[in-house]
Amino acid sequence: MKKTLLAALIGMTVMFGFNAAGYCEVGVTDTEIHIGQWGPQTGPAAAWGAVARGTDAYFKWINANGGIHGRKLVHHFFDDAYNPAKTKAGVKQLQEQTGIFAWVSGVGTAPGLAVKEYLLERKIPWVGPSSGSRHWVDPPEKTIFNVYPLYLGDAQILTEYAITKLGKKKIAIVYQNDDYGRQGLEGAEFVMKEKGMALVASVPAAVTDTDMKPHVMKLKQSEADAVLLFVTPGGVARLIGTGKAMQFEPQWLSTTTCGDFPLMMAITKGLYKGVISASFGMGQPTGNIGELQSSDAPALDLLATYKEEVYDKYASKDERWGYTFSTGIGLSEPLVEALKRCGRDLTREKLVQELEGLKDFKGLMGRITYAPFDPEDPMCRIGQNEIYLQECMDGGQSKILTDWQETEYIPSGE
Amino acid sequence: MDMKRAYYEDVRFFSSGAVVFWFAALIIALGIYPFVFKNYYVYVANYVAINIMVVVGLNLLVGYTGQISLGHAGFFAVGAYGTIALMTQAHFPFLAALISAGFIAAILGFLLGLPALRLEGPYLAIATLGFGVTITQIIGKIDLLGGRQGLHAPDLIVLGRHLNTDREFYFLVVPITVLLVLFARNLTKTKVGRAFVAIRDAEIAAETIGVNLVMYKTLAFAISAFYAGVAGGLYAFVLRFIDPELFGLFMSIMFLTMAVVGGLGSVMGPVAGAMLLSWLDLELRNILSVPYLGQWLRQLSEQYFSLTGVSNIQFIVFGGILIFIMIFEPLGLYGFWIRTKKYWKTWPF
Repeated sequence: MKKTLLAALIGMTVMFGFNAAGYCEVGVTDTEIHIGQWGPQTGPAAAWGAVARGTDAYFKWINANGGIHGRKLVHHFFDDAYNPAKTKAGVKQLQEQTGIFAWVSGVGTAPGLAVKEYLLERKIPWVGPSSGSRHWVDPPEKTIFNVYPLYLGDAQILTEYAITKLGKKKIAIVYQNDDYGRQGLEGAEFVMKEKGMALVASVPAAVTDTDMKPHVMKLKQSEADAVLLFVTPGGVARLIGTGKAMQFEPQWLSTTTCGDFPLMMAITKGLYKGVISASFGMGQPTGNIGELQSSDAPALDLLATYKEEVYDKYASKDERWGYTFSTGIGLSEPLVEALKRCGRDLTREKLVQELEGLKDFKGLMGRITYAPFDPEDPMCRIGQNEIYLQECMDGGQSKILTDWQETEYIPSGE
Repeated sequence: MDMKRAYYEDVRFFSSGAVVFWFAALIIALGIYPFVFKNYYVYVANYVAINIMVVVGLNLLVGYTGQISLGHAGFFAVGAYGTIALMTQAHFPFLAALISAGFIAAILGFLLGLPALRLEGPYLAIATLGFGVTITQIIGKIDLLGGRQGLHAPDLIVLGRHLNTDREFYFLVVPITVLLVLFARNLTKTKVGRAFVAIRDAEIAAETIGVNLVMYKTLAFAISAFYAGVAGGLYAFVLRFIDPELFGLFMSIMFLTMAVVGGLGSVMGPVAGAMLLSWLDLELRNILSVPYLGQWLRQLSEQYFSLTGVSNIQFIVFGGILIFIMIFEPLGLYGFWIRTKKYWKTWPF
């Protein structure tokens, strides 16, 4: 008995950690292309888990329609609980044991930064990091292709619109003291400077702030008539609610992260009506499009197709058809397009080349353009730099206010 | 089970020749490990080693001195930030920065130890918890430390060598871990360790026989914080990017859980606890791809809960394992080890 136990123990130790692999290109076989992705399914950012599930459903749909040049997309996604140590573990394990051809999306700035170097060293393409951080494009890297529009752009377009179209004179901003909020502040200041104006108030907020009275008080004292909100959806809800209670009701302007109107209406209990928000496409995935003012604004036909063919068929039944889910599709479209263009003999080098060749590619989001690698020019990897504005109407419907607007890149530290 | 005939047998570093043999075998095994296993397992080993450092240090405080801490993620954060800041702002070489950051954490540990002189049990837990939560808020406000935007780790150069890969890093982390574990073991066999145990067992009795409570309690906090600080400094280089969000309350709770599951009041217990729980923490995310079991869990989730939340099953399993261990082995893995040792004692006869 004891000897058997011992033998079994030794046997298990020896077996642990060996497996075979051997293709000409890692992650590509005659019939399969292995794509990796991480996304929090649990933990503080679990709400963003729908991104990975959206991509998963999208890949299933592509496979059901014949795959890409005779190969199926094999999607490996894992839960990192928004913990960078786990992201790193999962990426290494999949990369070294399964062999991943390219990585797509991947939620979060901190998790992404933890694996950025690892992927770069191995020259593994990574398309569409799911956060609008400047880290992905500044400095630009040969194998990282950004898709998610930077938050800098939100701030520029919102500020511009408030001044020129709404005729607001006193603009203020509430910003989270992190990468996201800082970009908002820089973008807004950039536009104000161009116009020879200055923000009447810039109020920092911590993610953990639950009492928004001091913030609203400062805004009220500044007599701002338009306020940019660069905080989390929960923070936005608290600010608008507190503002209402304190009889301070300026024009609120929010970012793409708060562009899911039905959701925002629900968490603000209807106070979100009239708020103007930036959007990187997809209209309202719920299909609640109010007055369409510009025919080429969101890709509505494509959205309807995805709703019927991807969501209805491949999403699990308690999945919500919303902004996050469709973002998962939108972020992986450029990768799929480039894979198609690569043709049958697929290598990483060729994939990078085809991605660089994408020009005005139009999927769910704004136009996406890359250029041959230039270490001096972030624009060659920024991909999408267009957004449009929409206003929240009754019942979470949206009214499209502008056509796609091009934004400017502002290098950090300026 | 090992009979001791003299006091000096009890304080001996290695209790027998067999222990020396196994220790040598362990060192050799640790030396060849990174060459036998794939890179991923080397990364896991580094991660586990860092947790071992924290938990062994925490155990000196909780298991030996009987003081609880729910704020060790705070010391961990201080070590991580301290190391990077000293390297980038003050241009310290890595090892100097790491040790200094450890001492900064130790000073904070000493300061936290002062209120601990008057607090006990749940009250102390809350005080330390407050420290853990506050320190990340403070770090988030300091622009020099990157605020909420986080900090990038600089290149890691140790004694003129660039450490880029997990394997190279392994040969930095593991020796430090072994040293710290040995130091902890040695400490428990000295006057200091005995004073800790005396305080744990009966404070008043300890004081009457001449143990300086103020000194030894704060010392326990300081040493424990030093371990966490050094581990934090190394952790910063595992991730290469840190921000205040990383060092949350959950991390402190995990550290304490590792110590308890491993077995309080021993050195090897927490080592085992840290190994088991950090491994589970990293690997349980794969539970849904285990053949049959994964399929079954998915179906279960679809039927009774929701399929989009299926990943939460890993926490149910994790919690289940913890409850199982605590019910059947209240002494933790160390208790299990003692029983196993008894069982095999007569082998091969």
